[in-house]
Amino acid sequence: MSVVSVQDVSKTFSSGHTAVTAVDHVSLEVEAGDIVLVMGPSGSGKTTLLSMIGTLMSPTTGRILISGQDTSTLAPAQLSRLRLREFGFVFQTFNLLSALTAEENVMVPLLTAGMHRKPARAKARAALEQLKLGHRLRNLPRDLSGGEKQRVAIARSLANDPRLILADEPTANLDARTGQDVTLLLCETACRENRAVIIVSHDQRLRTAAKRVITIEDGRLTTEEDGEHNQNCRMHARAGSS
Amino acid sequence: MLFLAIKNLVQEKTRLLISVGGVAFSVLLIMSIQGLYQGWSNKIGEYIRTVPADYWITQTGATDMFHTPSVLPLTVRDFLNGVEGVASAKPFSGRRVAFAHNGKDINLYVIADDVENNVGAPARVVEGKAVPGEGEIIIDRVVARSENIRIGDTIPIAGRTLKVAGYSEGGYILSFSFAFATKEDAESILQLPGATNFFLVTVEDGAAAGDVASRIEADPAVDAITKDRFVENNTNIVRDTFLPIILVLLLIGIAVGMTVIGLTIFTSTIEKAREYGVLKAIGVSNRQLYTVVVEQAVTAAVLGYALGAALALAINAVAGNYVPEFITEIRWLDAAWIFAVTMVMAVVSSLLPVRRLARIDPAEVFRA
Ligand SMILES: Nc1ncnc2c1ncn2[C@@H]1O[C@H](COP(=O)(O)OP(=O)(O)OP(=O)(O)O)[C@@H](O)[C@H]1O
Ligand SMILES: [Mg+2]
Repeated sequence: MSVVSVQDVSKTFSSGHTAVTAVDHVSLEVEAGDIVLVMGPSGSGKTTLLSMIGTLMSPTTGRILISGQDTSTLAPAQLSRLRLREFGFVFQTFNLLSALTAEENVMVPLLTAGMHRKPARAKARAALEQLKLGHRLRNLPRDLSGGEKQRVAIARSLANDPRLILADEPTANLDARTGQDVTLLLCETACRENRAVIIVSHDQRLRTAAKRVITIEDGRLTTEEDGEHNQNCRMHARAGSS
Repeated sequence: MLFLAIKNLVQEKTRLLISVGGVAFSVLLIMSIQGLYQGWSNKIGEYIRTVPADYWITQTGATDMFHTPSVLPLTVRDFLNGVEGVASAKPFSGRRVAFAHNGKDINLYVIADDVENNVGAPARVVEGKAVPGEGEIIIDRVVARSENIRIGDTIPIAGRTLKVAGYSEGGYILSFSFAFATKEDAESILQLPGATNFFLVTVEDGAAAGDVASRIEADPAVDAITKDRFVENNTNIVRDTFLPIILVLLLIGIAVGMTVIGLTIFTSTIEKAREYGVLKAIGVSNRQLYTVVVEQAVTAAVLGYALGAALALAINAVAGNYVPEFITEIRWLDAAWIFAVTMVMAVVSSLLPVRRLARIDPAEVFRA
């Protein structure tokens, strides 16, 4: 069973008498372990598609199944729980909570899911250490570099062992080198744990991290190619240390 | 997620100070006025409780010492002494009298200190003579201090001039205070020839008090009121004067507290709208988010309450030394209901921010 099954999905935004079809009859299957890079020009509907897969937005027509479950049948509280348990989100602007330290930011999804503070802290710490942030546990986001912030965000997205990680332009606010390192780190971690990843990006260099590369134009899925990701996840093991 | 609520609060120290200060102000206001109410209520009862009587006998229709005047001919005493079960019946004369002092009207409740019958003595004399001599008067220390009247000063009362001979305590009630003159002086001031205001009746051991009262009330000209009831009737004067004021100040306090918490939590929620959107996106339920906001309001309110209550207690302890009228008593019960009001205030003032939170669209978090 696919982790994500997008079935003939369209999304139309209408304001007044103008209507924009941001996503136009898209179908897509994503399996466990897939690393899908979604590319396309600005305004082509990438974020809209990602938002619908992430259940933050509902399709105008078509269905989206997550692990076989039709998301349109779920109530808001069930969708929250689904996102908490099954999804990890990584954003262009990091979106860490400014009042919390790196460690506490990673603890948020764990505590929300009902884990006690002590094990949550231990798990957050381990995750950050794995992302080479063991020396930054007690720092507030404002004291972290962009790359560090995005690594905290990745640790947060992985906290509840999600089946699917959704990343929208995770490298856009980072310099080229850092962006690539961080993304490789994300993909490598996900690959090793057989999680699916969908990354939206303009960055051609991320092809090296992806197993599949999909192009969207005007809301339509136009091409699908193989990415350059080496099936051996350990190939990128050094990426985080640079 | 209390820890998030606390971290959010602590992150914005100025805002936290404002909300804690606002709540503290309203708690201080409510607690002080409640304390004054309680303090004055007790004071008014305090003197009356010291008067030895099982029953206060009043002119029919008079229920307390202040509202309806009670005048009884001294001959009633013989009737009372004749009632089966009455151990003693003594006249008690006292009435409100005003005099001008430094261009200000001062109200005294002049009581005849009847040494012979051992009735009408001050509850506690703290300075000067304990028993007034002819042409002398004992006034309450609170009035003495606030009006700057010293022992040895003379004050003009009802065409007479009396010399202040001592200070008593525990007889200050709002707009007037008890003062004590000799029986003869009081009678001329109060203009009660052959009459008095009340009789104090004690009941014989073993006599059924209720039956004695019924027998007394067989005379349609008098009422017999139990001591407790009489204390309560007089205390009600404070209540009647104060309850509207307390209610108004309570409302002002609540309005101030709610506005301040509401506004600070609301602005913080708006500023953090994006972070709340992120939390929604990553799977924090609306209910959990509301809890975070309510927890912020409640935490600020608890801190504000602690500060406000501490200030109220401190002021309560010190202010009486500077402002003699400031007689307060803060009871646990009052502290508890004010705490409950504060908590309700916090929860209600989170409603607006919570509504705002409900409208945050988590899909927005993907927009840069
Ligand atoms: N909430 C919305 N209301 C109205 N129109 C919208 C909304 N969200 C997106 N659109 C429109 O849908 C189209 C696709 O937008 P989307 O953000 O998905 O593009 P994108 O591929 O992510 O672009 P970019 O690469 O610039 O991020 C655009 O024309 C956009 O203006
Ligand atoms: Mg986009």
